[in-house]
Amino acid sequence: MLAVSSFTSCINNEREGEMESFSIGVHDDFSCGNLLDDIDFDDLFIGIGDGDVLPDLEMHSDMFADYSFSGGEESEVNLSIYAGKVEESGSSGSGLSLSPGEEIVSKRDESVKAINTVSADRGRKSSKSSQGKRKMKVDWTPELHRRFVQAVEQLGMDKAVPSRILELMGIDCLTRHNIASHLQKYRSHQKHLRAREAEAASWNQRRQIYGGAGGRGGHNKRDVSSWIAPIMGFPPPPPAHMQSFRPLHVWGHPSADQSSVQHMWPKHLAHSQSPPWASPGPYPPSLTAPPPPDSSYWHPHHLLVPNALTQGTPCFPPTLAPARFPTPQVPGVPLPRPVYKVDHMGGIPSVQPHPHAPLESHPSKESLDAAIGDVLSKPWLPLPLGLKPPSLDSVMVELQRQGIPEIPPT
Amino acid sequence: MGDSSSASYIRMVQHLIEKCLIFQMTKEECMEALSKHANMKPVITSTVWKELEKENKEFFDNYKRNRQDRMSESETTQMIQNMISNSSRGSSLDD
Repeated sequence: MLAVSSFTSCINNEREGEMESFSIGVHDDFSCGNLLDDIDFDDLFIGIGDGDVLPDLEMHSDMFADYSFSGGEESEVNLSIYAGKVEESGSSGSGLSLSPGEEIVSKRDESVKAINTVSADRGRKSSKSSQGKRKMKVDWTPELHRRFVQAVEQLGMDKAVPSRILELMGIDCLTRHNIASHLQKYRSHQKHLRAREAEAASWNQRRQIYGGAGGRGGHNKRDVSSWIAPIMGFPPPPPAHMQSFRPLHVWGHPSADQSSVQHMWPKHLAHSQSPPWASPGPYPPSLTAPPPPDSSYWHPHHLLVPNALTQGTPCFPPTLAPARFPTPQVPGVPLPRPVYKVDHMGGIPSVQPHPHAPLESHPSKESLDAAIGDVLSKPWLPLPLGLKPPSLDSVMVELQRQGIPEIPPT
Repeated sequence: MGDSSSASYIRMVQHLIEKCLIFQMTKEECMEALSKHANMKPVITSTVWKELEKENKEFFDNYKRNRQDRMSESETTQMIQNMISNSSRGSSLDD
């Protein structure tokens, strides 16, 4: 249902100052069914400088959700018209009639067409009319995103509603819908980020615990095996349907194989533009977008993980469970397994009895393959051991010395 | 942005190496595995490994030591296994 009344009041409230007598004269004409015909749209714009100001309407795109547009260019019912100012003025009668009532619906076609001419190039980035969608593709440049984040932070995460964000950003060619979907992605990314931080924090904690505890126990042979951190954030390797092995994926690398990777990303992320977060280099659409280096890695301005692949819980690789031991146990004969070492790490809470996850020195091919594939396909995953990274310069210099001039290698 | 793509690349190599470490591999095994499974030039693997070693000396010292121990244990285990299966094969299955 068209919440025109809110629409109306919205206009009246916001624009009283700017327009003179934006009175909706059509109110008197309710009785007839040809409201739009009767309305002289030009009247609506009396007092408005040419192309200057149109109501900055807070239209909700889903107001129109139920309406099927018979016009060919449905996608051009670009509600950005309403969300922003239309520079090309209302000469083509882009103002939608404000008369309440559903009669408007039947007349929508006319106004749609009128709007379309105005909206022809308004805010239309890369969307094609053949899409039949009502969303306009927004180019979320880093600058744009920055303003978005600013607005969100100003409002506070819970209070950040698209309409307010839109206001704060003050960008004409954005619709509430654009903001809403961007907000959703942003929120889910934030959640993922927090989860990962929490996870990292808990690893560090545990590593410290083990560092202290590893000293005890009857193992005279060995010193503290504190570094083989029992809790490896080993993400469960993907189920055995691991695709055929891909060449090394390099972010920002133009020749990276794009066809293979991800199906992780929902379709709407497969823009041709870079999301603002992908600062290094171009963003190949279907590829996992490159996260910026290292320390600023999961900064909010970074790429969203849409699937909320939460690596929240450090878990043990299920495929590396005892079943994988190369030495099959002869029934009835208890064999000392390397795993028993862990018994000496007495007081560790909730440690699975397999701290050294793959105990065999020769890992099964599948699990190794899976693990490696995982790294290549999901570069955003946290480092399982979190070793201190070497200095980039030092590595580069050494590589060059070894005859590798370019990283990533071509 | 050559710099950040190098950084992310190196990070990835580190990630791969860490996975190999979880598998208790040696540097050479790692080089081979990554070359085979990830098309990674062994020289890159080894360089990054060595750099990681420099930066995480303690870890790698432990790692190597543990490996030794574990290796010998699993060898012992293997030996025992063989002995048992041999002996059971030798004697008829009257157990």
